[in-house]
Amino acid sequence: MSLLQEFTKGIIKENPLFRLVLGTCPSLAITTSVDNGLGMGVAFTGVLLGSNIVISAMRKIIPDSIRIPVYIVVIASFVTMTDLLMHAYTPAMYKALGIFIPLIVVNCIIIGRAEAFANRNSIVPSVLDALGMGVGFTLALVLLCTFREVLGAGTFLGFRLLPESRAAIMMILPPGGFVTLGCILGFLNKMQSKTA
Amino acid sequence: MLDIMKLAVFLLVVSAVAAFGVGYVNSMTAPVIDKQALQMKTDSFKEVCPQGEEVKNETERYLKKDANPLIKEVNVAYKGGVPVGVIYTIEPKGFGGPISILAGFDIGAGKVTAIKVLSQTETPGLGAKAKDPSFQDRYKGKSAEADLEVSKTPPTKDTQIQAITASTITSKAVTSGVNAARNHFAGNFVK
Repeated sequence: MSLLQEFTKGIIKENPLFRLVLGTCPSLAITTSVDNGLGMGVAFTGVLLGSNIVISAMRKIIPDSIRIPVYIVVIASFVTMTDLLMHAYTPAMYKALGIFIPLIVVNCIIIGRAEAFANRNSIVPSVLDALGMGVGFTLALVLLCTFREVLGAGTFLGFRLLPESRAAIMMILPPGGFVTLGCILGFLNKMQSKTA
Repeated sequence: MLDIMKLAVFLLVVSAVAAFGVGYVNSMTAPVIDKQALQMKTDSFKEVCPQGEEVKNETERYLKKDANPLIKEVNVAYKGGVPVGVIYTIEPKGFGGPISILAGFDIGAGKVTAIKVLSQTETPGLGAKAKDPSFQDRYKGKSAEADLEVSKTPPTKDTQIQAITASTITSKAVTSGVNAARNHFAGNFVK
């Protein structure tokens, strides 16, 4: 696989949220407004990039039997650092995302990439893999957020598109998340079965 | 045995390096976070009690054991050494968890100056509207003499607060907190 493909595979073909269906819990919870989705995507990409680089650099010296605890220590450190940095420099975003920043640590996409990719590849492909997965996850979140914010609150990035009385509040409540994700997954599966 | 020791030492080294990294970031960000928290606190004190020049935390002096558990903090605002206002931190339980609110009272007028929702986890688009000025302003200038009550229709009496549409639980929670503070204020500060 070429290096470019390592990057692009995470965006469409192996999109972590829409194709691998990983990390759905935080995705459903925070996609109520587009800026939340962007913030979560950026924080997630930062953590994934850091953990992929470190794990890929250490892949030859990590003893196989304790690789999972090592991954967890590495990922948890990056998450804590991201958490502190966001708390200090983007307080509004930090408040909006709340518990879901520390919970990036249990986001299965990150440990999944560590185990499935960074552990077996050198640093450059791992960086590209992390960036691709990060961009793919961010785009997926933003797509979910766009549907939910526009339909549920009548705004896009806080900019009003529909009058407030036209907004269907259900869309920014939990059911709206399930419905939106379900529709997108169904649509993508349909597309895929047509092309295949 | 030797193998296990090797693994333990490896994990120890990894954790030590990680701890060092986290510690470094923490030492870098901690002052910024503290400054922000302090700034936010003074800013919100100013918002709910603009007449005070200096605010002192007097929770221990005023919050007795039998006080209403909704009241978390009592801050007194002074102007030229004379207490002019009281700022309560109250934490009633809303629909989605505790709602942290500041309520400012004017000692001279015996009235609510303003309230401000500091943090909440209410439903977005419904109860979360409690943090909008349009709702918080409904408490402005209410007398501290009588309990406030929530009404679902536009208020007809001065002691009524109009609820947020479809969020009666949130509205009632905020009002119960303000009432707890009001009660304490009427008993301790109004002569």
